[in-house]
Amino acid sequence: MTIRILLVDDHPVVRQGLKTLLEGRSGWEVIGEASDGAEALEKAKNLNPDVMVLDVTMPKMNGLEACRLLRRQAPELEILFVTQHDSPQMMREALDAGARGYVVKSNAARDLLEAVEAVSQHRVFTALNGRDAAGLR
Amino acid sequence: MKLRILLADDHEIVRRGLRALLEKHEGWEVCGEASDGREAIEKALQLNPDVVIVDIGMPNLNGLDTTRQLLQHDPHFKVIVLTITDSDQVIREALDAGARGFVLKSDAARDLVSAVEALQNKRMFFTPRVNDLVLAGFLEKGHTVSRNEAPKLPTLTAREREITQLLAEGNSSKEVASLLNLSTKTVETHRSNIMRKLSFHSIRDLVVYAIKNNLIQIELPPPPPKTPVGPTAA
Repeated sequence: MTIRILLVDDHPVVRQGLKTLLEGRSGWEVIGEASDGAEALEKAKNLNPDVMVLDVTMPKMNGLEACRLLRRQAPELEILFVTQHDSPQMMREALDAGARGYVVKSNAARDLLEAVEAVSQHRVFTALNGRDAAGLR
Repeated sequence: MKLRILLADDHEIVRRGLRALLEKHEGWEVCGEASDGREAIEKALQLNPDVVIVDIGMPNLNGLDTTRQLLQHDPHFKVIVLTITDSDQVIREALDAGARGFVLKSDAARDLVSAVEALQNKRMFFTPRVNDLVLAGFLEKGHTVSRNEAPKLPTLTAREREITQLLAEGNSSKEVASLLNLSTKTVETHRSNIMRKLSFHSIRDLVVYAIKNNLIQIELPPPPPKTPVGPTAA
């Protein structure tokens, strides 16, 4: 199954890691990248991805804001958050903002593929760790 | 012979990205990976890499302390620190710890290859901002410490710093003891000494201290939206 993916994260190294993981799957293609929420909106409009993999904390416009705006701009686009914030509260906010998925960066290597598959089929996928971003319990 | 690189970062996704970046370079290979400072030291001693790339913000043992300990074991290790912040304090500490390279994570895709090349050629590499800071320091007064800075870490011993980080990360004294192979009583003694030295009254003080002094690095959540976005559904 073809899935066209837009990657949004302010760290190119993270985007590279995500890309390496995603392009291992046959038929999945990273069609573009963005490094902040504003660029994400623009690229979503131009490239029309199926799934957007989105970070929360970014300069200029953070992921939650971008998500809310994208819900109106592109209602068919499925959004998956991949973030440092391992908190149920943040996850709830993300889902309220219109995201379909939420996984934690520290487990991205383990959860990402399943998460993208799920959200591309309009299924919710969330996975937290029980520890917050600093490793605090 | 290939240049052998050890990667230490707590996020596997970041390690994958770094590996993809570095292995594009012919003649370089990632010989091992670690997800925290202790594992980094263990693997460095085992694998003897040419370059060690260390994320500052790792749990259990952060990158700055990892750098210090590595260089204590063997001053010939060449370490590049990766960080999400480039505050004056972090820069100073990285330099004091003996790092030969300092790269911002947000610029890693651009700078890391140059950093490894520099270390390969026995030079150092710092992001432009660091160079500016060092230069400014030389031009101004030639001394680095201003009186308004947060308390300097040297008041804690290396062991005390390790314990401070583990406690700030939410480990109990018993858990810290287990992680460090010490008795709980020893950890409790260190804990009291730390609290006394730094005049702390609670674990919260300790956590704040750990954050301010880069023993743990955290990303803050974004602020809540200022105005409601669009009309709310009825």
